[in-house]
Amino acid sequence: MGPKSNLILSKMENKEVTLLKKALERQKKARLQAERILEEKSKELYDATNQLKESNERLENMLSEKTSELEGVFYNIIDPYIVMDIMGNILRMNGAAKELLGYDNNIEEINLMNLVHKDYVQYTQESFHKLYEVGELKNYKTKILDKDKNEKFIHVNSSIIYDKNRKPIAAQGVIRDITKEDEIEKLLAEKRKQLDIIVENSPLGIVLTVDDKIIRANNASVNLFGYTEQELKKLSLDKISMTCNNSTSIKEISNFEPSENQENYSLVKRFYKKDGSTFLAKTLISRVEQEKKQKGYQVAIIEDITEQRNLEEQKEQLLKELEASNKGLQEYAHIVSHDLKSPLRSISALSTWLLEDYASSLDENGVFQLKAMQEKVEAMDKLVDGILKYSTIKSDNLDNTKVDVNTVIKDIRDIIYIPDHVEVKTLNKLPTIFADKTKIHQLFQNIIGNAVVHIEEEKGLVSVSSKETPSHWEFSIKDNGVGIPKEYHEKIFKIFQSIGNKERSTGIGLSIVKKIIDLYDGEIWLDSEIGKGTTFSFTLKK
Amino acid sequence: MDILFIEDDAIETMKLNRTVSKLQLKHNITEAKNGEEALNILKSGASLPDIILLDLNMPRMSGTEFLKILKEDDVLKYLPTIILTTSENRADLLECYKIGIAGYVIKPLKYEDYENKLKKVLEYWDTNELVKA
Repeated sequence: MGPKSNLILSKMENKEVTLLKKALERQKKARLQAERILEEKSKELYDATNQLKESNERLENMLSEKTSELEGVFYNIIDPYIVMDIMGNILRMNGAAKELLGYDNNIEEINLMNLVHKDYVQYTQESFHKLYEVGELKNYKTKILDKDKNEKFIHVNSSIIYDKNRKPIAAQGVIRDITKEDEIEKLLAEKRKQLDIIVENSPLGIVLTVDDKIIRANNASVNLFGYTEQELKKLSLDKISMTCNNSTSIKEISNFEPSENQENYSLVKRFYKKDGSTFLAKTLISRVEQEKKQKGYQVAIIEDITEQRNLEEQKEQLLKELEASNKGLQEYAHIVSHDLKSPLRSISALSTWLLEDYASSLDENGVFQLKAMQEKVEAMDKLVDGILKYSTIKSDNLDNTKVDVNTVIKDIRDIIYIPDHVEVKTLNKLPTIFADKTKIHQLFQNIIGNAVVHIEEEKGLVSVSSKETPSHWEFSIKDNGVGIPKEYHEKIFKIFQSIGNKERSTGIGLSIVKKIIDLYDGEIWLDSEIGKGTTFSFTLKK
Repeated sequence: MDILFIEDDAIETMKLNRTVSKLQLKHNITEAKNGEEALNILKSGASLPDIILLDLNMPRMSGTEFLKILKEDDVLKYLPTIILTTSENRADLLECYKIGIAGYVIKPLKYEDYENKLKKVLEYWDTNELVKA
């Protein structure tokens, strides 16, 4: 090898060294970097581990919190709650469930299937199958027997609990005791039945409508309208009644307190029957609002008052006619009395003049006949007067005031003819009553007037007395006259029934007495003994 | 006194005339058979009577109808009018007093009683100061 080659060699060697050195340098750098990365990663790993540990702890805390929360819910749940295995054995139950069933799973083993009432066993087995197949069971109802053998009706919502492999391991259920609800439902059904009986047997038509459509009509309304219930259900009340505003018979009587969700009103409406005829009916309509979104009911109670109305109208008409004819009759009585009295006055005057002007030409017999004629005329005048008085005694023209009966008796003593041998006296202080003075006067005058002229005793005595009862005044008028035979005791109060032998008695006096007493809701009676005297007694309502 | 006597019954008229002459009263009696006739007399221009004696029940025009017309007349309404009737109807009596009358006398049955009553009525009005047309 030559120097040249050495040089070259050395040159080469130098280059190689430099390269090597550089490579070494790079290697060193890379290792450093790797170390740094490793360091970072291991720090991250450490941090991650820490974090994991933390969150794990948190999760564990949460889990235990939730578990205890659930425990709380389980025990505090109001409805009975039960967890059972797939065979129906109770695994857990809350307080409410223990109370409902009377059993405690901590004390004894309970299989739910044994509690089911025998009528429900088959249905229950089917329901359990369904539960396992579908995973849940809603609205399952059954009858069970509790520990004391009480029958209970329950409602259950339950679902299956699965393990992580979706294998059913247990079932949980929330139970509701619906024994009461069931009773209420039965009671409701009973009430509904009672209501139906009332509605169907009501003599009043009852129609239930929603939205103006008839949805129910009872027997009475079927009979009223002549439609079947099915036909009625296709109609509305408006269609079978005359419109309100053109009917004059509508009379609204709002005699009901309006309330928030109910509205009642009553009116008289004319309805059409199927055959086209109409009838008038008193109709009570009640609007019953329902819970929101549901349409309200309208109940119409229909009472056919056609006949009633006809009778009322007839009665009114009759009353009017009666009133008119009464008034006419009274007018008539006055006119007749005037027309009868006028000629009597003429006859009386003429006979008087005959006596005056021709006294010298008349013999005793002629004078007697003329006087007899005058007496007859007088009797007839009294009769006409009596009839007029009798026919005008009416309750509608009574002028009731305070009347002192003592004064009335005194006035009568002054006015009427009392024979010298007769005395009229009062035995006690007579009351002051509330009545029509003229009528009371007439009443006493007619009885006393009768009494004083029928006494044949040497000393005649007519005595008036009174006593008070809770509701009436009772008066007695006693005389020592000729007496009235028993067979006439009723007859004497009838008009034109005179029993007196006095020519002037008209037979009207006591019938007027009776009529006045009738006006004051009283009664009259008499005790009499022939030859001893008579006592008239009568009562007048206070 | 000048008396206008309104009465349809002839015998009633005889009764009044007989009473007046028997009692030797110097009254001048004008007779009218009903309300219409009486109005004709009153409106004829002849001197007006001092008092009117009026029956109620008369044909054609009743006493109350006549009375109403009389009371609506500005001059005639001053004439004292005494009702002389057989009507004891209270409604008649009230109606007459309502329209306006100077008296209401009921004709008694007996002539003697009639004489007595009429004597008093005529004496009373004779004592009074009269309107005198």
